[in-house]
Amino acid sequence: MNKQLIAFAGFTAIMSGLLTACAAPEDTQSEASSTTDSTGDASDPISREGIGILQIQANGEDFVRQGFVSKDGWAINFEHLYINLVEPTAYQTDPPFDPDGEGELQATAEAKLNESITVDLAEGDENADPIIVGEVSVPVGHYNALSWKMLPASDGAAAGSTLVLIGTAQKDGETIDFNIKLDPEYAYVCGEFVGDERKGVLTAGDTANIEATFHFDHIFGDGDAPADDAINTGALGFDPFATLASGNELAVDMAMLEEQLDQTQYRLLEETVAGLGHVGEGHCLEVGSQTSP
Amino acid sequence: MPRERNWKGWVGKQLMFPMLGLWAIAIPERAIAHGATIEYRSIPALEVQASYDTGEPLANAQVTVYSPENPADPWLTGTTDDQGRFIFTPDSAIAGNWDVQVRQAGHGDIVSIPLEGTASNQSTLVVAGSGSSQSTSLLQKAVMAGSVIWGLVGTALFFSARSKKHAHS
Repeated sequence: MNKQLIAFAGFTAIMSGLLTACAAPEDTQSEASSTTDSTGDASDPISREGIGILQIQANGEDFVRQGFVSKDGWAINFEHLYINLVEPTAYQTDPPFDPDGEGELQATAEAKLNESITVDLAEGDENADPIIVGEVSVPVGHYNALSWKMLPASDGAAAGSTLVLIGTAQKDGETIDFNIKLDPEYAYVCGEFVGDERKGVLTAGDTANIEATFHFDHIFGDGDAPADDAINTGALGFDPFATLASGNELAVDMAMLEEQLDQTQYRLLEETVAGLGHVGEGHCLEVGSQTSP
Repeated sequence: MPRERNWKGWVGKQLMFPMLGLWAIAIPERAIAHGATIEYRSIPALEVQASYDTGEPLANAQVTVYSPENPADPWLTGTTDDQGRFIFTPDSAIAGNWDVQVRQAGHGDIVSIPLEGTASNQSTLVVAGSGSSQSTSLLQKAVMAGSVIWGLVGTALFFSARSKKHAHS
């Protein structure tokens, strides 16, 4: 009886050792997901105190810097593209402002340029950086919303206009030099910039930027996209402008366009110009120039 | 440079559902040397559904997740599945807004997901494709402790038996 007891005790002790040897680590932790590429180190939170420099930029993207082909085959190149921006303002919002949502913009901090500034989105070469509209020294944090107005300039290159498009359009051997002046008034309220890099995260002593982006393919369409793509079905193209040219010159303003375009074309022009404002790929609301965010 | 189509991507906010799962009973199926085990547990997870406003899913789109602690650097990157879905497990110890950006071919959007923090020990509850849970280890420890006690009793009986033998010899 005692021998059996001793053998059982020995067997039990060996098994306990085996259990210990084969036990998996206690803290096994996995971010397992078939859709996951990598995880970053979130153990280094950014500082929430201090002052930094926030730049507000304007960007017409490659369509403006490099030119593009419209949905109806016109090769468009801009010599100048003046746009008059009024009181561009960046915000830290909490909750983060969602232009597609129901909530109002609730700012906990803001960085405002108290002026009217005309910039040329076509300035620089085809690889130029976005245009710096201005910069302000502001508390650090995440500036995740942006607003600005577009109003006719009181002076300068765009005097009397909100937008001035100057350049050439070429198709089938024909070249049209255009000068299109538009003077509608708009106000945009946008959420966070969406793009290759995250913008608006300002740390103490550093410089960050936030960008107002303008999508001119919304007006003219994109010859590189299918004809039935929404970017083309919703765009005016350049043909309606070309029909208004006198010889190889087109010089028109908003009043002339309203008079000479048919009603459907003019309404589409108004809609597409109103839809110019973005924050990268992120969305904006056009709220009317008399509205404050 | 991305081109914007005249539609907008959107990121659905059908979030905060618990993934299907059950608490594992803390007994391994096998405790054989060098055997493999698969266990499971319930975890809180977030599912993001990204679509164009036409309803077409943003399939295989680039996903970037930012934690509330560090909005500058991605906490997680990945891709949506062919239905435009992305599921991830945030660190429940980090309270605040978790931002998820989804982009594809010049279209994109970002959604902010507010999460309340929980006790830090719960943050160890993660999906486990392999490995073991803490409750399993506790059971193993209990078995070990019982084995050691029983081993000591057996050893005592062994020497006790030898003493009796020697006394009778």
